[in-house]
Amino acid sequence: MIADRIILAFTLVLAAVYFWATAQIPSLEIGDPLGPKAFPRLLGIGLLLTAALLAGEMWKARHEKRAPVEPGSLVHYLVVGGVAAWTWLYFLLFEPLGFIIATAVYLLVLTGYFNRGRWIPNVSTSILFPIITYLLFTKGLGVSLARGVLPF
Amino acid sequence: MDTLTHIINGFAVCLQPINLWYTFLGVFLGTIVGVLPGIGPSATIALLIPVTFGMNPTSALIMMAGVFYGTKYGGSTTAILIRTPGEAASVMTTLDGYEMARKGRAGAALAVSAIGSFIAGTLGVIALTIFALPLASMALKFGPAEYFTLMLFAMTAVASLTGKSPAKGMLATILGLMIATIGIDLQSGQPRYTMGIAEFQDGVGFVVVVVGMFAVSEVLRGLVDIHGGKAAKLLPISGKLWLTKEEWKRSIGPIWRGGIIGFVIGVLPGAGGTIASILSYTTEKRLSKHPEEFGHGAIEGVAGPEAANNADTAGALVPLLTLGVPGGGSTAVLLGAFIMYGIQPGPLLFQNRPDLVWGLVDSMYIGNIMLLILNLPLIGLFVKLLLIPIGILYPLIVSIAAIGAYGINGSVLDLYLILLFGVLGYIFDKVDIPVAPLVLSLVLGGMMEQSFRQAMTISGGNPKIFFNSAITMTLVVMSIISIALPFVLPRIKAMLKSEAD
Repeated sequence: MIADRIILAFTLVLAAVYFWATAQIPSLEIGDPLGPKAFPRLLGIGLLLTAALLAGEMWKARHEKRAPVEPGSLVHYLVVGGVAAWTWLYFLLFEPLGFIIATAVYLLVLTGYFNRGRWIPNVSTSILFPIITYLLFTKGLGVSLARGVLPF
Repeated sequence: MDTLTHIINGFAVCLQPINLWYTFLGVFLGTIVGVLPGIGPSATIALLIPVTFGMNPTSALIMMAGVFYGTKYGGSTTAILIRTPGEAASVMTTLDGYEMARKGRAGAALAVSAIGSFIAGTLGVIALTIFALPLASMALKFGPAEYFTLMLFAMTAVASLTGKSPAKGMLATILGLMIATIGIDLQSGQPRYTMGIAEFQDGVGFVVVVVGMFAVSEVLRGLVDIHGGKAAKLLPISGKLWLTKEEWKRSIGPIWRGGIIGFVIGVLPGAGGTIASILSYTTEKRLSKHPEEFGHGAIEGVAGPEAANNADTAGALVPLLTLGVPGGGSTAVLLGAFIMYGIQPGPLLFQNRPDLVWGLVDSMYIGNIMLLILNLPLIGLFVKLLLIPIGILYPLIVSIAAIGAYGINGSVLDLYLILLFGVLGYIFDKVDIPVAPLVLSLVLGGMMEQSFRQAMTISGGNPKIFFNSAITMTLVVMSIISIALPFVLPRIKAMLKSEAD
């Protein structure tokens, strides 16, 4: 499978990067015979062993029939990518706009798309949820949330 | 005698009105989270950490434990009424529970899972009460070498037992350990792998990893399903919410056996509730005089697995409380919560804070009674939750996750991290890399490195210390066996089969 090959390649690259980054840690070995590098080095070796195991599993499964690719999987990735990008934008504007406005806009778009056509529950949830949770968390539970452009 | 006093004192702690309230809140939340697909106990407990900060730790932990065992009750409701497990461990209940509901016996299926969960859950807590102390006093003899090998065993067992491929389980474990090494090294004061980002000096918080991998990734999966038009159909609660004499007679055996299987599997690292319920299901099918009824609405197929996954939660608390080493994803998150409160579970906790330990354990007796009431007479209310359109529910979960992640430090970086780990969790699911081993090793990573270095300091740098005592030797051998098992087992099976042929 292509996915498994990518995982194997990723594992090897990660091991190399991790070994390199471990070598960059400055160490003063006073009163600590191992220092901060020893355990990470073990992990790097563990990662190489994992790569070997992965290769072994792939070798064993080389004759197995591949599962057919699900139809519409490209659409799936588009959906995931779209939601992830929208969520990223939400987090980007989380502090500048404040929790209430950013969340309301975020929810309006997502519920509008995934719960299509039902405007009344979508709009009321998108507006009431951020206001109620904001008041509950900041005033009731003392958790600080971004205030943003709103005066309260 | 002393123990008995502690147990009774524990009741005095958990019966305080404030703790009763938090027990109720925990099991109530647990039932909701169990009923709702898309958010599970791990993410909920992680999200509760910032909210409960500053609370009395005993009350907070009582509540979080309530979420942990409460979800198992709620999970079966969704499994029975819409054939989607509300929790992974309820997957076996979808087989016969949904069939019962289709035949108009939803009431009986819900009743037997609530009653079975109650009996087995209580049985599990009794076993926890009995076994905790002897195990804790044994663990008092553990030094750093013993702890290191114990954690090694927990990790190898979880890596090789969760998911389809042990190599991918190992990969997840090591990734978790690597994430745990990010931040300032506590012994030398050197920053490691911080990539110049100041926030990383304190390390990557496990809350953001758990919330990302368990909640955000689940939302991404769920939204793809909505887009694909995979909507589940909700069956009505049909029939009386009670069992006939015949059904009762058929269920009681599976409940007892499921309870025992669940507890034992729960104590062992790695396996967890899902495997406990699968084991119980196959056991009941094998013992049944009518195995052909399984999959077509056999009540044994609901009673056994539901009992097993509830006893499992009590069993899973045994190693967490007595050794301080969890054996799975959800208990790892619970350990993380303990540590956030500055409390280290383990043998010393039984000596230093018996009020907390026994208050927590005893609250589970009360919590199970509350859950029985919530999940039998009041089940109709929770079923209403399933009417919330998931197109609204899933976006709300992201916002709740954002509140939880931002609430810890007020840092936007944590928001980006939950998104990053959410996408990563989605990809992991697609390519069959299990998430639980990563969470476990992330939580244990710091402790593991510390005990490794302490042990090596004691031995003057000689790794022989990990093979010196009988305990470490046993644990090392068990670790090797748990890695080798997935490779050896199919061969043994094939050999036996060819001999039988």
